[in-house]
Order: sequence, then C-alpha cells, then structure tokens
Amino acid sequence: MVLEIYAYQCKKCGQLHYPFRMVCKKCGNKEPFEFDTVPLPKNGKLLTFTTVHNLPPDFNVAKLTLGIVELENGMRITGQLKAPSPKIGMAVRGKVETVREAEYSKNFGMVFYPA
Amino acid sequence: MREVYVVGIGITSFTRLEYPLSEIAAYPAMIALKDAGLSKVDHVYVANMASARANHQTGLASAVVDTLSLTPAGAEVIENGPASGASAIKQGFMAVASGLHDTVLVTSAERLREVNNLEATDIVASLSHPLAEYIYGVTLPSLAAMFTRLYMQKYGVTERHLAMVAVKNHDNALLNFFAHLHEKITIEGILDSPEAMTNNPYVAEPLRFFDCCPVSDGGAAVILASAEVAKQLKKPLIRLAGVGQATDTHCVHERAEPTDLLAVRGAAAKAFHMAGVSPADVNVAELHDAFTILEIVESEEVGFFKKGEGHLALERGETRLGGRLPINTSGGLKAKGHPVGATGVGQAHEIVLQLRGEAHKRQVKDARIGFTCNFGGFGNNVVCLVFKREN
Repeated sequence: MVLEIYAYQCKKCGQLHYPFRMVCKKCGNKEPFEFDTVPLPKNGKLLTFTTVHNLPPDFNVAKLTLGIVELENGMRITGQLKAPSPKIGMAVRGKVETVREAEYSKNFGMVFYPA
Repeated sequence: MREVYVVGIGITSFTRLEYPLSEIAAYPAMIALKDAGLSKVDHVYVANMASARANHQTGLASAVVDTLSLTPAGAEVIENGPASGASAIKQGFMAVASGLHDTVLVTSAERLREVNNLEATDIVASLSHPLAEYIYGVTLPSLAAMFTRLYMQKYGVTERHLAMVAVKNHDNALLNFFAHLHEKITIEGILDSPEAMTNNPYVAEPLRFFDCCPVSDGGAAVILASAEVAKQLKKPLIRLAGVGQATDTHCVHERAEPTDLLAVRGAAAKAFHMAGVSPADVNVAELHDAFTILEIVESEEVGFFKKGEGHLALERGETRLGGRLPINTSGGLKAKGHPVGATGVGQAHEIVLQLRGEAHKRQVKDARIGFTCNFGGFGNNVVCLVFKREN
C-alpha cells in the first residue's frame, strides 16, 4: 500500500488546498465538505529549511531537520528532511513515513530525501 | 465611540516566579489600581495562554477577580496565544469605547517555568497547525528559523544584524529593573570569539541562543477608563488612540510570499488609521522580538522603514536609545522577557511609562506617540496599538 498525503480540491472551482479547510479560499463555496481528495505530488524543490536542536519531549533525538518544499504542482508542504547537506532550491522526493510517536499516538507525514 | 484612556499601570519582574499564577496576575493589578487611585473597577480581563496545561488551572479570571476582592465585577480570560495581552487590551478598549463600562482592569499572567524547558517548547509549539506542522516537530523557533533563512537570502540580513538586535535589547534591559536578563553581551562574545559557538549555540539554524527570547514568568496590568473618569484622576492623559488586528494563514507554508508578514502590515495600518497618525509620527515603539529577526521585519511591515531596509536602519543606530526611533526600550521580549500571554500588556506598560516621562534612564525625550506590535502564532494573529499623550 502506498501512503499518501492528500490535498483538498474545491468541487466548484477546482482550487487545491493543503491542509484541509472547510471553505474554499478562492471561490468561498459555502456548501460543507465540497472537496475532493487528491494525492499531493512527491517531487519538489526545497524552499527553506532549519535544523532544530530543542525539540518537544516526544522526539528522542538531539536534532531534527525540517523544511518547506515547493511541490511540482506549485503547492507547498512542511515536512521532515533527511538530507546530509541541504541547500535552498535542491530537488527532493517525499515518502510518507512515521514522523512522530508518543505513548498513545503515531503520526504519519511527509519525509523528504534528496531526489 | 467614546475615547479611552490609560489611567493606571503595573508590572511584575519578568523572571522565574515562585508564587501562584492568580497572584502573578493580581500583583500588577494592585499596583495599577494604586497608580490610578481607584479601588474598584467595572470589569476585569485577564490575558493568559497556557494556564490549563502549564499550571493545572482553568477559569483564571474568577480566581483573579476574587483574589483582588473586586467581586461582583465581571471577569474573563482572553486567550489569543502570544497576542493575548494586546487582545485583552482591545477587549477593554471596546468595553469602555462602547459605553458598557467606565473603568476596566486589564491584567495578565503567565507561568511557563512551572514546567520544564522541553514541555514549555511543546506547549508553545501547539500554536502551529496540528496536522500539517506540529506532528513534524515544528516549534516556534523552527518556523522563525526557516523564515530567517529566506529573509537572509532575499534581503541580505546576516547573523551580525541579528546579533546587533540582541546586543541593543540587552543594553536596554540593563536600564530596566523589571527585565528578565540583566546581562551585558557583545558581538565579539556571541559571534566573533573562539568561544562564540559555546556561548551562543544554534537553537534552530540560522537562529542561535541569543536570537531567541527567554521563557519568562510574569504579569502586567493597565487600567482603561472613559474621558470623564480619566480627567478626574489628575494623571498625564495617555489615550489609547488606535487598535488594529489582522490574521493570516495558520500554516506558514500557505502564504503566497513567505517573507511577508501580512497580519503585521494589516494590523498596524488599521491602528494608525484609527489614531489618525502615520508611522513617521511615532516616537517610541515596542515590537514583538520573540526572535531577533522579528524586530527587523516588523519595523518594516508596520511602516517605519521600507521592506528589506530594517536591518540598514538598525546598522545606522536609528532604533537604539538616542536614535531617531528607539525600538524596544524596555529590552523587548529578547531581554525584558516573554511571559507569553502577558507580553502585550507588558509592551503597553513600557509605552505608557515612556509617554508619561517616567522611564528614567531609558526615557525617550519628549515622547508623545507610542506604538506596540503583539505577534500571535508565527504571524497568524497580530494586534497593534497606538498611544498618544494629550497634555
């Protein structure tokens, strides 16, 4: 099974949104839940990044690299970054993996690797 | 709409405080009541962000109003993340301006040092989008760091500019008894010397330890009143002349231009419009420098300097004490401290001191118009205030 992160496409005007919202930002369609789910593309380029050294207690690591990626359809997503020497503009490819685990919860999210 | 005046102010030290949260809110309120010469108010607003999670206390306003023996005055908590303070002042403004109340106490408190550093980081990180940011380990420093990297690339801001903000605000805090950090720092010590990486390690690259505000406990209070009440109290007349608020996308990645802070721009424009003044008229300002980069960017977005030129004004010394427009004379969040929900009221406290001419060694000469910018989330909810001295 391939795991996906979904964008939400307005049924009225076709505008894509990520993350989920209840009302379309472009056309303002007020009918509830008028969105189709569309998998986000996996390829993109790195817009910006940081390595965080002070993390919430759930993370049992000393540091973690995070980034914002501009995907090939122009949408953006925040995710974790596993690249030895990240650079702004570098090509990356995402995989949906476990990004955070606590006692009673497990979260999946996008992890980017050099393309 | 009626005119609204600030008739009393009070503050605690911003530091680690070892007494209960309700007393952290009540103590500055008592100072403010004494300062105003009032023993009763019509209504109480209490600004706070994290009492439920950090202090196991809910319904904080009920505790505060009773601690102060101000019952049966109405009271409620205003929670708007790090902008809770200015939001509470805005609520007080609306209550007096509308004619519903003649006197309103706006107090505030935060006690995040009751929990450990990692827990505090997590509580503040819960401001980010739960599914699209928080799960990845996004913290406020990480959002600020990603923003800083883009800003450096686009506008030529360097780590040296960030360090200059820290040095300036630490210097100002040395003149403020109530500030959290009374510590003289130098560019050499935090950037240039061989020990710089030990003194000033990275928190979220490219932001270092001295680019981030401390986690502070503390509280501050102001009393707002109608013109009729204010004119009887024989205090300098400081009018809350402009109030502006604006919001932006919850997720930082959804912003069309990631180096813009549109909520800051919008909130400031509204506040200036209501007050009938322009950014060029401001004599002293408190900006929300939770991270050093934010002082530079906010100084541009509110209209003091052109976009991309805030760091140049900083280089020229325009924003230090004695400069054309001193910013963060209190030490700012960077050195005065950041008791999250109380910060906005703390900023208003400093501006009122300045406009009254009571800021002692850090007094800005002849200050008549003051400005505050209180920044919620990572720029998704911003409240700006304009204060004017009228006599």
